[in-house]
Amino acid sequence: MKLELQDIRLTFSNSRKGDFHLLQGVNLAVSEGEITAIVGGNGTGKTTLFNIISGFITDYQGKVLIDGKDIRPLPTYKRAQAGIGRLFQGTQLMGNLTLMENMKMASVDTMGEHPISPFIAWKSIRTHEYQKEQRAIDIINKLFGSDSKYLSMLDQKASALSYGEQRLIGIARLLMGESKILLLDEPTSGVNPVYIKTIADIIRKLVEEQHMTVLLIEHNMNFVKSLATNCAYLDNGKIMQYGQTEQVLNDEGVKNSYLGV
Amino acid sequence: MNYFLHIIVLLNIYIILILGANMTVGMAGLLTLCQAAFYGIGAYIGTMLLMQFDLPFIVIALIVSVITGVFSLLISYASLKLKNDYFTLATLGFQMIIFTILYNWVDVTKGPYGISGIPAIKILGLWSLKGVVPYAIFTAVVMCAMVGIFVALKKSPYGRLLRAIRADETAVKALGRNTSAAKTRAFFLSAAFSGIAGLLYASYVRFIDPTSFTLNESLFIICALFIGGVGNAKGSIAGALFVVILPELLRFIGLPDAVAAPLREIIYGLALVVIMFVRPQGMLGEEMSK
Repeated sequence: MKLELQDIRLTFSNSRKGDFHLLQGVNLAVSEGEITAIVGGNGTGKTTLFNIISGFITDYQGKVLIDGKDIRPLPTYKRAQAGIGRLFQGTQLMGNLTLMENMKMASVDTMGEHPISPFIAWKSIRTHEYQKEQRAIDIINKLFGSDSKYLSMLDQKASALSYGEQRLIGIARLLMGESKILLLDEPTSGVNPVYIKTIADIIRKLVEEQHMTVLLIEHNMNFVKSLATNCAYLDNGKIMQYGQTEQVLNDEGVKNSYLGV
Repeated sequence: MNYFLHIIVLLNIYIILILGANMTVGMAGLLTLCQAAFYGIGAYIGTMLLMQFDLPFIVIALIVSVITGVFSLLISYASLKLKNDYFTLATLGFQMIIFTILYNWVDVTKGPYGISGIPAIKILGLWSLKGVVPYAIFTAVVMCAMVGIFVALKKSPYGRLLRAIRADETAVKALGRNTSAAKTRAFFLSAAFSGIAGLLYASYVRFIDPTSFTLNESLFIICALFIGGVGNAKGSIAGALFVVILPELLRFIGLPDAVAAPLREIIYGLALVVIMFVRPQGMLGEEMSK
């Protein structure tokens, strides 16, 4: 799937201080099977851009296109169903659910999630639940190996995992759906170096094997360099630099204003 | 014996009421203060149906469930527009409005005079429940059915969805789930549970007036839920046992009413404070941490 942002603008009105233009015409295109990183200082609107793509912010101007189709009318959950997967900044596993339940929540199969279902289709629910369990086990096997400790922790509450492990499972969980576009908001923040390498391997595998389109917000420049083909530098509500990652990160302007080199 | 059975009837009715609150407050984490309003709507609608039509219980229960469920859509709408404290305040407003209507729409509800002479429930349109023994058995059967429904829902993928919403609604939306629809259904079920409790109460007591469905009653139900425990049926049963049995125990101690009534309120309040410190999920509730 191809993701395009056309002239995205977002303004916050304030009667005292006047209007604040957070995004002032962002244009970006990410092709299928491509990893693009968005870099920029804090408060430049990177996460806001993800919120616009995911449908959490709807009062923007411009267009968000998926394979050429404007997705403005779609609410958040329909955008997710259309193939946009999102990893949020910070921990996003549901701590009161087990690991397996967290994985199942990300499945596109919603059989049984209507209150009438347990009373009229319990047999069918059991079959679907079994299929989801098998899929979750397959994903964990594939990503972390058959000797992974997570296989024996599937019935434990997600809150039992460390922050870094929750990030890993958070990414694994996205594979339960049928996401074609992944929006990853600082996947390595607060994660130790061993897990950072695992996260990079998982993302690389997803792009190579499933041709996913990945848009990445990240402050870890080594991670960006090792993974992203293209890079966009966001500043003052606009994309000031866009191109191959090495080229953008070596740009004098980016070095001075963002990297502080 | 009749006294004991009377307590059983009240216990069964309160278990159903608290289960209803558990559906939204416990499972989905949406704190409402209007459970007594749905309880009252169920009682009044049930009373009107019992007095006007000679229908079997199951039909009246279905109609009451649907009508209270439809009223719950107002709360659902508020939950789509308002979050957290603001939503809870909106439910408080709903409670106040329903009470005011019940109290002042004298032509229909007879206002503060109440409605007396409510007919007993008829099972399958044939057997009329007369006396406390059949009511104790019948309310126990209905309560068991409601517990069964609650447990089935809790264990189902729908229960999982509600618990996920409780933990992080934003993430659930981003995983492709229509959280508004899931919450609307939870409110509907919660109201339907309360409506059935209201119907049982009205037909058992044979008299209703608006003072049984006040904000105090809503707070009482929420207190019972939090004391007993959120997120499972065991907690609701424990909560109902606590709030129904405690006043009777105080009575047995032989305290005069002038002392027992305020002491009961103090014990409820104290129990709630202690529970929040020692075991926030309630006596038998589930860990609902995010």
